Amino acid sequence: MNILVTGVSRGLGLELAKTLINEGHNVYGLSRNKSSELENLLHLHPDRIKWLSYNLSNSTDVKNIIFKEWIGHNTPIHGFVNNAALAYDDIITNLNMTKLEEMYKVNVFTPLEITKYVIRHMLLHNVKGSIVHLSSISVHTGYKGLAMYASTKGALEAFSKNTAREWGEKGIRSNIIVSGFMETDMSEGLNVQQKERIYKRTSLKKATDVNSVAETIVFLLSNKACSITGQNIHVDSGTI
Amino acid sequence: MEKIKEIINTVLANRGKAPITDINNDSHLRNDIGFDSLDLAELTVRLEAEFDIDIFEDGIVNTVGEIQTKLAPL
Repeated sequence: MNILVTGVSRGLGLELAKTLINEGHNVYGLSRNKSSELENLLHLHPDRIKWLSYNLSNSTDVKNIIFKEWIGHNTPIHGFVNNAALAYDDIITNLNMTKLEEMYKVNVFTPLEITKYVIRHMLLHNVKGSIVHLSSISVHTGYKGLAMYASTKGALEAFSKNTAREWGEKGIRSNIIVSGFMETDMSEGLNVQQKERIYKRTSLKKATDVNSVAETIVFLLSNKACSITGQNIHVDSGTI
Repeated sequence: MEKIKEIINTVLANRGKAPITDINNDSHLRNDIGFDSLDLAELTVRLEAEFDIDIFEDGIVNTVGEIQTKLAPL
């Protein structure tokens, strides 16, 4: 399968790209920059992963640059993983509109625009594809300082549910991974005490395993999950 | 017109609907051909792949004649 993944340069996106390649899939990866690990992956698997430098704050060039010039009409896309995200955290009384708008572009507006063309691509190739958006446990269990970030992920959850309803008849599925806090760059701003406090709220008392999230995404992309759509799948060390 | 008819019939076939034999500029996409919104989306995509024009980009298209108009610059 050909899978479009955003945010492949590090963290979960990079882990997911590796997992997909190991399972025999082709990755079309987007990220702003090329990390050394991504460089290594591209070097190891030049025929399995294609990479494009793209800044998701740019929603206007999605059609031309990503779909027309890079992927092209003739390549079917079987899955889309909306993984990249900005996490701007602060308490609400400090809300900065410029930062909020930037976060909404990267986390919501451009991924919605990409979804538009992913579905169009699936229609063109008669593909019963699978879309997976990454959400966060912060949507369901509030955390101080994450209200603005959580609001972008809540928007994706609503979008995914409605995508599933709208396109289910064509066999196109859409699901959400509600991820707990992982030990990635995304949570590097948290100090040890903050992390401990977060992990204490989980059943397993530890960080969410990046590989467990990646494997669940691969499952949702696969035909094994052909009857699963419109769902939020929590992979969060049991945050209850 | 033949290419448009061919694409319309592809979309109909993908939804398990019978093909049409005759179309003209007055043929209404919903009322005469029987397209719903999902079929219209697929029609748009297939026309764009063929002619590189998004017929729904700036408004609703109702008839085959209106598609011809959108594609007219070609």
